[in-house]
Amino acid sequence: MSATARGSRSGPRAAAAEAEAIRPAPGIDLIPRRPLLQRQVDAWIALSPGDRPLVAAGDSVVPGTPLAEHLRDARLIEIAGTGGLRPGDRWRGEESDAGRRRGHPPEGELLFESGGRWWVVAGEHSQPIDSPVSGIVREVRPGLGIGLRAGGAALEGALALGGLARGRLELATGADGELLPRALDVGAAGAILVVGARIDAESLTRARAMGVRGVVVATLASKDRRDHLASESRQHAALHQLPTFAVLVLHGSLRRPISVPAMALLEALAGRDVAIIGKPPALVFDTEGLDLPPDPPDVVHVRSGPLAGQSGKWAGLAGLRRFPGATHLEAGFVRFGDGPPVAVPLADLERLT
Amino acid sequence: MTRDPRAFFALDLGAATTSAALLGRVPDRWRLLGSLSCSSEVPLVAVLARLVERFAAADPELAVVLGAGPAAASWPRLTVHSVPPAGLAVVAVSERALGALADVAALTGWRVIAGSAERLDPLSMTRMLLDPEVSSVLVGAGEPPGADERGGLGDLAALAAAVAIRRPELTIILAGAMADQGPRFEARPAQGPGAVVLAPAAAAGVPPGTALRATLEGLRGLADDARRSFARATATLAEALDRRIEAIDIGIDGGVRVVASPRAGQEPAMTAAAVVADAGLAPPDPDEEVVDGVVGWSTLPADRHRMRDRLRELRRLPWGDATGDGAPFRLSAARAALERLVAATPDLDALPPADMLVIAGGAWAVAPGPAIALAAADVIRRPGVTQVVFDHARLLAPLGTIEDHDERRVLLADLAGDLLAPLGTVVMPQGMRGGRNAGRLLVHGATGSSELDLVPGGIELVDLPPGESAVAEFEFRDQVRLGTRGKHFAVDVAGGLGGLIVDLRDIPLRLPDRAERRRELLAAWQEALWAGVSG
Repeated sequence: MSATARGSRSGPRAAAAEAEAIRPAPGIDLIPRRPLLQRQVDAWIALSPGDRPLVAAGDSVVPGTPLAEHLRDARLIEIAGTGGLRPGDRWRGEESDAGRRRGHPPEGELLFESGGRWWVVAGEHSQPIDSPVSGIVREVRPGLGIGLRAGGAALEGALALGGLARGRLELATGADGELLPRALDVGAAGAILVVGARIDAESLTRARAMGVRGVVVATLASKDRRDHLASESRQHAALHQLPTFAVLVLHGSLRRPISVPAMALLEALAGRDVAIIGKPPALVFDTEGLDLPPDPPDVVHVRSGPLAGQSGKWAGLAGLRRFPGATHLEAGFVRFGDGPPVAVPLADLERLT
Repeated sequence: MTRDPRAFFALDLGAATTSAALLGRVPDRWRLLGSLSCSSEVPLVAVLARLVERFAAADPELAVVLGAGPAAASWPRLTVHSVPPAGLAVVAVSERALGALADVAALTGWRVIAGSAERLDPLSMTRMLLDPEVSSVLVGAGEPPGADERGGLGDLAALAAAVAIRRPELTIILAGAMADQGPRFEARPAQGPGAVVLAPAAAAGVPPGTALRATLEGLRGLADDARRSFARATATLAEALDRRIEAIDIGIDGGVRVVASPRAGQEPAMTAAAVVADAGLAPPDPDEEVVDGVVGWSTLPADRHRMRDRLRELRRLPWGDATGDGAPFRLSAARAALERLVAATPDLDALPPADMLVIAGGAWAVAPGPAIALAAADVIRRPGVTQVVFDHARLLAPLGTIEDHDERRVLLADLAGDLLAPLGTVVMPQGMRGGRNAGRLLVHGATGSSELDLVPGGIELVDLPPGESAVAEFEFRDQVRLGTRGKHFAVDVAGGLGGLIVDLRDIPLRLPDRAERRRELLAAWQEALWAGVSG
């Protein structure tokens, strides 16, 4: 963790007091601010028609609580009209039904009624969707999803792939590192790995095979994203299901290191149980005992451009400046470490609260 | 709005860009006093404070006269918003019926996904309609329904009605003969989210499609929708300047194309507009066609995967990484978006060519003026003489919100010189034969005359600064089209940041198939109007 970025180590109160004493140079209000942590986490677990919710609004859940059963082989069957039912309701066939004798699954979800017949989504094979977090179920909408207010806080990413995952957070590389397939073994089984700047599809496949539950990475290239999704799709089609595996991409598609504040947070979380959720794409964790001093008010972070991933101190507006590419952009001066101020386009900067 | 105050703000609050302009009455006409554009993440109060501060520093006396100080925060504001397009699922019984509906919907600013009962089973179609990105569903049929539709209308309506029960927030639009299926839907609010709206068939109206378009546009629009205001302001500008105007706006989430002509003799004023969500600078999930489009205009050696990555980054941080390669990459993406916009609006191509082309939108924010003019000329290829201008302060849309027509017209007439930055005049003849020399050009300007040979396949640039005008005399060896057919033409041309751009390339533009050669050619043309972009 950089002292420049995250203040001194003398505790959050001292850091807050120190922050108050600093008056940043004018113009810093033109730098966008966003919270590093989301303190209220409303997760959405998507369901498809045919999936069976196992919780109701208002239920409390803990990690591992089954939320729903996902129907893996959803198909349509047609049954005779049944009174008093509505789309989304569950249907259960009688043993004596003619359809059962024709091999229809015993139950399913009503889709729609037309011409005195109901179309039903049914199947034989399902798999549980377990809650990766503790929280309260806010709403359940069959065929659409389950809304969950998760306890704790979240570090939001740019994108999440795969399902929900929970595991112990382990740092496999530094912020600018890259994990190669041969570096993965079963010792990481059950963990959510922080793997640095980028990872390729081959490493993701091996991580899954080694029992890793999830990966947190700065960037994932489109090609690796596509290849990983294709691999996931083949895995879903397989009879034998592995535990869910999730990838949280923190910053985007083009290679860059994990940002200084995000890495500092991940370092603080190492060894704790954390969860990856898909909507919003985020890493969810318990904040108890977590010491996260706020940024001093003059600290800015470079989120894009050649200096992406670095943090520095705001040194004032630089006005309209010419940059490589013969482009004129509004810029500000930023002092990185003890070096002289560097002009950086304002749009490449952000502040974290 | 403009009658009492001495100054006001015009704000265009887009999904990616916040543009603020300060206008003041100096002394008896409205002038643009300053403008500032930045990422939409920056708080508006900070943007306005910076804008006023700069104005006060540049002209302290006028600032005092107008009362620019803490009170400036309370100055009136003309504000427009543009938001990411909402999702519209279009469904029909047959592919034939679906095509007609989807074509109309694609011009109304919705992000359209479409599926027919002919291609999708009921489960797939239900999944499509349950997608959280979908906020409205257009269920349509012909009027009367075609033979390929009649048997499936009931089932499709029943499926949509069942989805509507699950998602009461969905707006359902029943078009054409599907309106008869209204009783299948449970009671819903008369308007707003969750309503069931009856709409005309895809072919209704003159020309066909206009009736359904009006309904869909009405359902999409915000009260202060930037795109609608942009079209209205363009129409008023055409009237104020008495010129035929084409206006193009490319934003992160969509493109707008407007063609407006003033009343001329017995001909009434005319405005035609289309809003195309797929013509955004960086679509949410760029498909192969989008990526190929950008690759085709790129001056950078990057494979398709890398280009897709860049497009995704551009969408995530539209103002980020705009230096170095990022600058020409943006302009390649803008050209590709403009190409999609033009391809989606062939009806507007068929209208008589415009005298003036207005370029607007955040897509062009980081490029220099002459490069913007070239990008427009690369894509919009029609023989003729067109003055190209840039709505640099993004004023058109906010000014379009002024309800009073006369007030709007006066203000636009006052401000036309300020809000339209002249990029140059593009002269684009068609029909030249290949060879070394197609003729000669003589430009008679205020400071003298210049002469140059016309070489087919290239671009000739004549320095003609903003504010100057000249007469360009063309003598072609063979007959060409330049508005009319002929060999000798004398046209009035206006100066601009790019001067006079004589575009002697093919119409439509033909580029080499080999990627390397194509990139070199594009880079050479661009370098001529964007000095230093490659280095």
